Amino acid sequence: MHVIEVNDLTKDYGFGRGVFNVNLHVDEGEVFGFLGPNGAGKSTTIRHLMGFSKPDSGSTKIFGMETFDKYYEILANVGYIPGEIALPAGLTGKAFIKMMQDLQHCHNQKQLKRMLDLFELDQTALAGETKRMSLGVKRKLAVVTAFMSDPDVLILDEPTSGLDPVMQENFIEFIHEEKKRGKTILLSSHIFSEIDSTCDRIAIIKDGRIVSEFVADDLKHASRKFYNVTFRSPVGKAISLDRAKERIPSLQLLGGGDNDAYISVEDRDLNTLIDILSDINVVSFSNRKESLEDYFMKFYKEDKDFGGALK
Amino acid sequence: MNVIQLDGLTKDYGHGQGVFDLNLDIAGGEMMGYVGTNGSGKTTTIRNILGFLKPTKGKSYVNGLSSWEHASEIASFVGYVPGEIAFPDLKTGIDFLKCQAEFLGMSDMSYANELIERLQLDPRANLKRMSKGMKQKTALVAALMNDAPVILLDEPTTGLDPLMRATFLDIIKEEHKKGKTIFMSSHSFDELESTCDRVALINDGHIIDVCKMDDIHNREFKEFKIEFNTAEDYQRFIRGKYEITRLQEQYSQATIKIRSTETAQLLHTLRNYNVKFISELPYSLERHFKTVLRNKKENEKNGK
Repeated sequence: MHVIEVNDLTKDYGFGRGVFNVNLHVDEGEVFGFLGPNGAGKSTTIRHLMGFSKPDSGSTKIFGMETFDKYYEILANVGYIPGEIALPAGLTGKAFIKMMQDLQHCHNQKQLKRMLDLFELDQTALAGETKRMSLGVKRKLAVVTAFMSDPDVLILDEPTSGLDPVMQENFIEFIHEEKKRGKTILLSSHIFSEIDSTCDRIAIIKDGRIVSEFVADDLKHASRKFYNVTFRSPVGKAISLDRAKERIPSLQLLGGGDNDAYISVEDRDLNTLIDILSDINVVSFSNRKESLEDYFMKFYKEDKDFGGALK
Repeated sequence: MNVIQLDGLTKDYGHGQGVFDLNLDIAGGEMMGYVGTNGSGKTTTIRNILGFLKPTKGKSYVNGLSSWEHASEIASFVGYVPGEIAFPDLKTGIDFLKCQAEFLGMSDMSYANELIERLQLDPRANLKRMSKGMKQKTALVAALMNDAPVILLDEPTTGLDPLMRATFLDIIKEEHKKGKTIFMSSHSFDELESTCDRVALINDGHIIDVCKMDDIHNREFKEFKIEFNTAEDYQRFIRGKYEITRLQEQYSQATIKIRSTETAQLLHTLRNYNVKFISELPYSLERHFKTVLRNKKENEKNGK
């Protein structure tokens, strides 16, 4: 069953802004990655899913219910982390948690403690007023309040932005655990490694339209890898590259300076490459491990449109 | 001369929160990175340098002026991008930038316009309705448009997409080349590695390490992880002459350490093996700081 559904969602803000005919769905127990440049429409889609905004046409559903109409019924079972955190002022962290628990009609103290421990929020941090909290503490607080009712559906809009690397790791760990427990998760992020290690399926949105959707495993097992090779001299470089081109049909020369080359080969040709390179004095040999990132960047770049260019 | 200097800087918020006895010298034209976990004191340090906070003990100086006593003077030659951007109650980005220019006594807006164009920012947009990325861009323009010789950046790229992040970093690198003195906090080790001359690590309010990026990049040893297609090759290889740092037999993977100058020899050896993949494990800033933190924890455990 589709737990999360976006059907032909269109919200036109004018000037080409908004989202247009967006379709996506997340099945029960699935982790769905949602990628795209700033301003592409990720948060707009997510805010419709949360029922904060009414579609111009199309629909967004969670558990089969229209989110705009049934927001209140869905709320208790959906954990949401907004992209930008705005906490109400004049409250301590503790009071904010209590307020959110009341709103969610759920006081699961055991789960709350699990979350507080995992994200290392102690009583000292919670005693402070929300206005005086550091950005990191605010983000942690948002994470904890989103998950403390142990909801079945998690909708996460750049959840680790502003968290330090240790917390990012904890967060990914947490997503893995929740996935095992059968949670349905929609995750938007700019951090490729995060998407890479957690998601089953990935969609890329650009200028308000979904431009690509694929199964994550297809990319993970990409059979082409990228290498940086530095040679002792330009002549050495020329000789070995000529030999490599002759013997390795899959070889691609992607860049480099006088003494170094950035190349890619299919995995099956790696041994031939080693053979050729070992004949010459190679100064350094290293792989570039960002084929996934390269793939995404291709979509991001196409036309360097940041939205809102000064015409 | 040191452009930024922390001299025993302490701001004690109680409960062990704050920053304690910070000492750091940043030379003119240097770019210093600043890394640490959430709540470790990065923002507190930066706010002290700007003179927003009165130190409990010690002092911070910018161009020899003590921060707290000369905050308004310092503001005239320091560009600052705060970690959380809260704009004043003005209508558009243009209004804000004009208001800042007036405050700084600026008349020439040509560099501001150049930055706006490069960042592809539409400053006519409503300030309150700007997306995260637009706010960051507007703040960066405001910080740099005066051509200030000193620049403080508090997690300037948090929340930006990779492409925008790259544009941001390009601009910051250019400022560095122009000879600006820059202090930048970040959670991204990659970002600091590619921009900074030195990086300081703050942990629980104490600076526990400052490292030169040159030392990280130019190391005598390298580590390679190699996976073999057959278990026989794997076994044969690990019995060879290489110094092994890690073995994962179930994957037929071996990690070895060699001198950087021996890369060619390693490839020569591998000719006689069926290799599935080979990848260098770079000695990164991240690994360096993880080692520093692990050593610190061990020292604490051992009754220090």
